Amino acid sequence: MPVNAIRSLEKKVALQLKDFFFTMQEFFLFSVRAFASIPKLKRYWRDFLDQATICGTDSIPIVLVSSISIGALLAIEVGNLLEDFGAKTMLGRSTALSIIRELGPMLMGLMLSARFGSRNGAELGAMQISEQIDALRAFGTDPVAKLVMPRLVAALIMFLPLTALSDFAGLQSAAYMAEHYHRIDPGIFWNAVYPRLVAKDFVVGFLKAPVFAVIITLVSSFNGFSARGGTSGVGRSTIKGIVVSSGLVLIANFYVSKIVLENM
Amino acid sequence: MIELDKVTLKYGEKEILKQVSLTVRDNTIKAILGPSGVGKSTILKLMLGLIKPNSGRVLIDGADITRMKESELYTIRRKMGMVFQGNALFDSMTISQNLGFFLRENLNLPENEVIRRVTEQIQFAGLEGYENQLPESLSGGMRKRVAIGRAMIFKPHMILFDEPTAGLDPVSSKKILSLISTLRHNNNLGAVIVTHIIEDVFNVADCVAVLYQGEIIFDDVTEKLHNAEHPFIRSILSDKILEL
Ligand SMILES: Nc1ncnc2c1ncn2[C@@H]1O[C@H](COP(=O)(O)OP(=O)(O)OP(=O)(O)O)[C@@H](O)[C@H]1O
Ligand SMILES: [Mg+2]
Repeated sequence: MPVNAIRSLEKKVALQLKDFFFTMQEFFLFSVRAFASIPKLKRYWRDFLDQATICGTDSIPIVLVSSISIGALLAIEVGNLLEDFGAKTMLGRSTALSIIRELGPMLMGLMLSARFGSRNGAELGAMQISEQIDALRAFGTDPVAKLVMPRLVAALIMFLPLTALSDFAGLQSAAYMAEHYHRIDPGIFWNAVYPRLVAKDFVVGFLKAPVFAVIITLVSSFNGFSARGGTSGVGRSTIKGIVVSSGLVLIANFYVSKIVLENM
Repeated sequence: MIELDKVTLKYGEKEILKQVSLTVRDNTIKAILGPSGVGKSTILKLMLGLIKPNSGRVLIDGADITRMKESELYTIRRKMGMVFQGNALFDSMTISQNLGFFLRENLNLPENEVIRRVTEQIQFAGLEGYENQLPESLSGGMRKRVAIGRAMIFKPHMILFDEPTAGLDPVSSKKILSLISTLRHNNNLGAVIVTHIIEDVFNVADCVAVLYQGEIIFDDVTEKLHNAEHPFIRSILSDKILEL
């Protein structure tokens, strides 16, 4: 009966919608709890330091690799393009803007959501299914304050220098390529970079770091906390954490740029 | 005292517990016997307020915990210790760190008092020499004893055991049961032991409730279990092993 089929579909959709809004509400409360427990930072100082090492120092290689390669590529491609217009001297400016405003932060966000996000998702997911998170609660410790807040604060603090590093490395590799591939004098390259950068460019780039930090940490941790159903459950929730946080990083990347560029 | 008052719990559409009422008195060992997947772990989590029932009340020493906020629950939970089904030890910490963790976290004790209490639990659980090992390097029985030691750390007056002997060899499982009896006699503790192994019930429990298909089908002193007439209880008494 088609009517019955429509009914059951209706019911299924309604159920899924209900699930979705329920999850959103849970996520919102989870985030509020994470921020609200920041005053306990002193108590979880050691956890914070561990996380700062994990998401900060240990992430340096991957951030460097991605920013150096994108800087070099950008210099080559944009250089070729500008050459057609006889505007090669503009190479510094165009690569600098792309790196500092868009590609540097975005790539860093994607790399960190893969690196830091997957680690959070898997670690917290494993703790969830082995009942360690329940154990924390059972003995009177708030698992969000102990496990999520230090990760959040560490990411908020460490993503900024990582962005700076990513920008710096990207620009250096672009400059290197400009000099050795396009034969542009370094003086000309840098002259098109520094004097022309304005506050807005940095605001766009560096505003993204804390936004990504919040997205990546909260989404991956929330998914870890929601892991159910054994090892494959941990796999599922980790993947979901990475996919969702990468998607949100891309979306946020667009909106932060749009909002800041329109309003400054 | 722990009371469940007409507690109903659903996961999605599935009703796991149907109007379950149950009382655990202080200074007694109560077993909850039931087949796998019937909701035994769920009952213990309800008692700690880790999950909330869909309807009904859970009372700890007379206080209704179903309406309490998480922060209010923390003080209530410290009156109880919990031994999780899979132990739930922190796998990145050594045995003594596992034992001392919640003391350092939640009580403002001087460090030498923490060390004294940890040593006490290590001796009690017979874990001397393993203080600095990680849980993964211990046998199943030893890990269970660490978990019991951790459950004792706040000197609770009620301990909840989730299948304390499941998956252990007969010798380790005997050790665990005798540890539970010792606890009881030395510390005047009450305990809830959730299990699917009927020998455990006869070995340590003063009274027993049988959970079957979401309902309590028996709730009395252990000796009377032999006279129960419910076909499920008859079948487990003859087989001694609970099959679903
Ligand atoms: N978070 C959850 N979401 C959905 N269903 C769940 C959840 N936790 C448990 N269940 C289901 O509820 C039922 C009771 O689970 P519970 O863990 O309490 O059983 P149990 O009696 O302890 O079983 P076991 O012998 O496996 O330990 C099971 O069928 C389980 O699949
Ligand atoms: Mg269980």
